[in-house]
Amino acid sequence: MAHLKTPPVNSVILAILSLVLFVSFRDNGRIRYFQSATLVEDADTVVGFPSMTDGIPDTLFQVRSASGLPLSYYKKIYTGVCFDNECRMLDIVLYWNITGRYLGFELPEDEFLSKFDHEPFSESEYERLHDLLADLLSPLGMYAYNELAPKPSIDEEEVDGITSATSKEILEYVVKGAAFTTYTLRTLVYGPIKDEVESHTRQALSEELILKILQSPDVSDKIWALGEVRERIPLSPKLRDQIFEYINNDSYSLAERAIDAIDGDELASDTLQMLLLQKFYETDYGLKKLILDKLKEAPQLDDKVKANLAENLKKWEGALLSNVLDLYIAQKVFDIETCRLVSELLQNENRYISQKAFNFLQSSGLNDEGIDKELKTYQMASHSALP
Amino acid sequence: MLKTIGVASLGAVTPKLLKGDVLKAPYKVTEETVHTDILVVGGGTAGVIAAIQAGRAGRKVVLVENGSQLGGTTTTGGVSFPGIHFAWGKQIIGGISWELIQEAVALNGDVLPNFAIPHGRQHWRHQVQLNGPLYAILAEQKCLEAGVSIRYYETPTQAVQENDDWRVETVGKGTRTEIVANQVIDCTGNAYVASLAGFDLLREAETQPGTLMFRLGGYDFDALDLDLIENRYKEAIAKGELVRAEFRGDIVGLLRTKGDNIQHIVGADSTTSQTHTLANIHGRTSLLKHLKFIRTLPGCENTVLEDMRTETAVRETYRIVGEYQVSHTDYVTGVVFDDAVSYSYYPIDLHIIDHGVTPKHLIEGVVPTIPLRALVPKKSKNFLVAGRCISSDRLANSALRVQSSCMGMGQAAGAAAALACAHKTTPLDVPISEIHQLIEEHGGIVPKA
Repeated sequence: MAHLKTPPVNSVILAILSLVLFVSFRDNGRIRYFQSATLVEDADTVVGFPSMTDGIPDTLFQVRSASGLPLSYYKKIYTGVCFDNECRMLDIVLYWNITGRYLGFELPEDEFLSKFDHEPFSESEYERLHDLLADLLSPLGMYAYNELAPKPSIDEEEVDGITSATSKEILEYVVKGAAFTTYTLRTLVYGPIKDEVESHTRQALSEELILKILQSPDVSDKIWALGEVRERIPLSPKLRDQIFEYINNDSYSLAERAIDAIDGDELASDTLQMLLLQKFYETDYGLKKLILDKLKEAPQLDDKVKANLAENLKKWEGALLSNVLDLYIAQKVFDIETCRLVSELLQNENRYISQKAFNFLQSSGLNDEGIDKELKTYQMASHSALP
Repeated sequence: MLKTIGVASLGAVTPKLLKGDVLKAPYKVTEETVHTDILVVGGGTAGVIAAIQAGRAGRKVVLVENGSQLGGTTTTGGVSFPGIHFAWGKQIIGGISWELIQEAVALNGDVLPNFAIPHGRQHWRHQVQLNGPLYAILAEQKCLEAGVSIRYYETPTQAVQENDDWRVETVGKGTRTEIVANQVIDCTGNAYVASLAGFDLLREAETQPGTLMFRLGGYDFDALDLDLIENRYKEAIAKGELVRAEFRGDIVGLLRTKGDNIQHIVGADSTTSQTHTLANIHGRTSLLKHLKFIRTLPGCENTVLEDMRTETAVRETYRIVGEYQVSHTDYVTGVVFDDAVSYSYYPIDLHIIDHGVTPKHLIEGVVPTIPLRALVPKKSKNFLVAGRCISSDRLANSALRVQSSCMGMGQAAGAAAALACAHKTTPLDVPISEIHQLIEEHGGIVPKA
C-alpha cells in the first residue's frame, strides 16, 4: 500500500536542518516538530543510502557534520494510510536520531495532516502526535493494523473514519480522528528504518562519536552507545573513565551496560582491574556480582586484586562469598596464601560458608599438609553431624 | 515328600519368573521422622527464595513442594515474567531473587529491560521475561547448593506445635513423614499450613479468577477479519456454546496474545487436590472449547495448540489474619513501617471476572513496604508466611501478590526464621536491625524510614 516518492535533495532542506532542532509549530511555512538530537552541530552534507520500503526502492538520507559525524537521518514518506484509500495521502518527512530514536517530523511547504472528513490537525493534535511518536513504549505497537479497521457503529462518539470506529482501548494511543495516520507513522518510525539507521551509525562509530553520544541528555542514547563499545571500540583512558562514571548505584541499567561494555581482553590491564575492584566496593549487591563475573573474563587476575579479595573473604556472606570463590576457580587462583585464607572459613559456624570453602579447597588440587589436615577435620566433623 | 509338595505348592502360587527377574516384597510406605531447623512448605515464587536465604544463613532447611519442580507461578504456572524489582528508576527488590533472575537472563542470552526509561502506564515493560524451565533448574541448583533438602510430591496433612517445635506430617509418593522443625514458613500461597495449624484466615466471597497459560499458533493475525470473528464469537456466547467470562469477552485479545495470560477461570483454587483438580479441568475444558471454535473461523482453520502449562495458575485464595494487615491506604501512600522488611511495587491489580483488569498505578515516588508483622499469623509462634497469603486487605493484596513482592517477602521470611532459630525465639522477637542486617548481607534491599 505504501508508495514513496523521492524528490531530489535541495539546499532548502539543508538550511532548515542546520537550525537547532527544537519543538516548533511553523517555520518558514512548514509544520515541524522535533526532539533534542544527540549531536547538535551544523549540518554540512547529506548522503543518501539505498533503502527499501514495502518492496519499493527508496532512499534514507544521513545528515553529516563538517567532520563527517552523522547527525540525523530522514526519509521522505508519501503513502496512503487507510485500507480503503479514502483518506488524504500522507506526505511527510520523518527524522531519526543517530541512535535510532525518533527525532521528529516535518511537512512539505503548505502541506498539513488531516483527520476524517479531511479536517486539518490543530496545533495541539500535532503536539499529541509528536508525543505519541516519541513514546517508545506505546502499546499501539502491540496492535495489528486490522484492529483499527472499520466497524459498523451507531455510536457517533466512536466514529473515527468516514464510516469507521476506533476501538476504545486504542483511542488512548492515537490522535482522535487519525488512528490510521498515527498507526502508519508509528510503524514507520519503529520499523525496519530504525534498524537501518542504527546500522549506518554503527558503520561510522569511532571513539569520538561514542564519547559524544555518551554526553547525550537522553539516557536511551547512552545505553545504546554503551551497547556498541564492546569488541568495537578500544578503551582509551578517556573512554574508560567515561564508562566507569556510570558504574554506580544511581541507575542499574546504565551501570549494567557499562560493565558489559568492558571487553574481557581489556582486563589484561592491571589498572583496569583495580578500577573495577574499587567499583566492586562502592556498588550494590546486584552490581557486585556483575563485576565479579566480568573479572572472570580477564586473561589473568591481577595479584593485588586476588590478595584484596582474599583478605576480605571473612566479611562476606552468602552468594558474594560464593561468587568470589567461583572467580578464583575460574581464574585458577589456587596459591598457598589464598588457600590458607580460604581454609580459615572451614571453621565458620555457617555450614553454607564452610561447605563452600571445603568445595573450593577440594577443587584446588593443592598439596599442603596443614590444609589437608583441616580438610580431614572438617570432613569428620561433617559426618559426625549427620543424623 | 511333604517338602516336595510344599515346594510344588509354592511353585503353584509364585508367578513364573523370567530369567533376571527378582521377586520383590510388596512396597511399603516409608515412614520417617526428619529433624530440621526450618521447614518451608511450598517451593513457589516465595518459598524458593525463603529456603535459599535460610540455607545460606547456615540453617538446616527442608523444602516441601507438592509438585515436580520449584518456582510456582513463575515456572509451573507459566507466568515467567516477574515484576517489579525497580521503582521510579531505582532497584527496590534485590538479593537472591535478583541473583536468580540475572543468571536466568544471562544464561538464556536475553536482555533486561531498560529500567532507566520510565514505564509510564505500561508497568509490564519493567517486568523481566524469563525462560521458565531454566529458572526452575537454577532455583533447584541454588537450593541444593545452599544445603536445602528438597522433597517433591509431598504435602502436609497436619501441623502441631509442641513447645517450641512444629511437628508437620506430610504424605507423598510412598512416604509418610513427620518433620520436626523449629520454624515453619508457609509459602503455599494458600495459607494451607497456617490453616492446618489452626490460625485464622480470610477469604473473599468471590475470588479473583485463575488463568491457564497456553500458546496458540497456526494463523496470521494480521490477515484475520476481526469484525466477522467478533460477530461469530458473540453468536456463540448467545447460543451458550462459549462462556464470555472465560476469555473476558475478548476473542480478538485471545487471538492477538495467542493465549498469553488472558483466560479467566472463576473460583480457581489451588489449596487442595480437589479444588486444584477442578481448576485445572475447568481451564483445559474451556481451552478445548475455544480451540474448536477458533478452528471454525476463516483464517484460523489451522490453529493449533503449541504449548500449555500443566496447571491453572491461581491469583487469590486465602490470606492470613496477621499481627498487622497491610491496607490499601498503607500501600498506595507508601507507608514505611518500623518493621518493614521489603519493598513492593506494582499497580493495584484486581482481576474482575467479566471485565479483566484495570490497573491503578501508584503516584510517582511512592514505594510501598511490607512489615514483618504482616507475615506472622496472629498469636503464632515460630511461624511465618511469605507470598500471596500475606495479611492484607483485598486491594493491597492485589499488588502484594505479584512475583517480585513475593520474592522480597520470601527472603525476609527466610532471614527472620534463620535468626529466630539462632536466637531460640519467635521471629517477631528478633531485633529488627538484625533481620535487616542479614537481608542486606545477602544482597537484599531493606526499606529505611
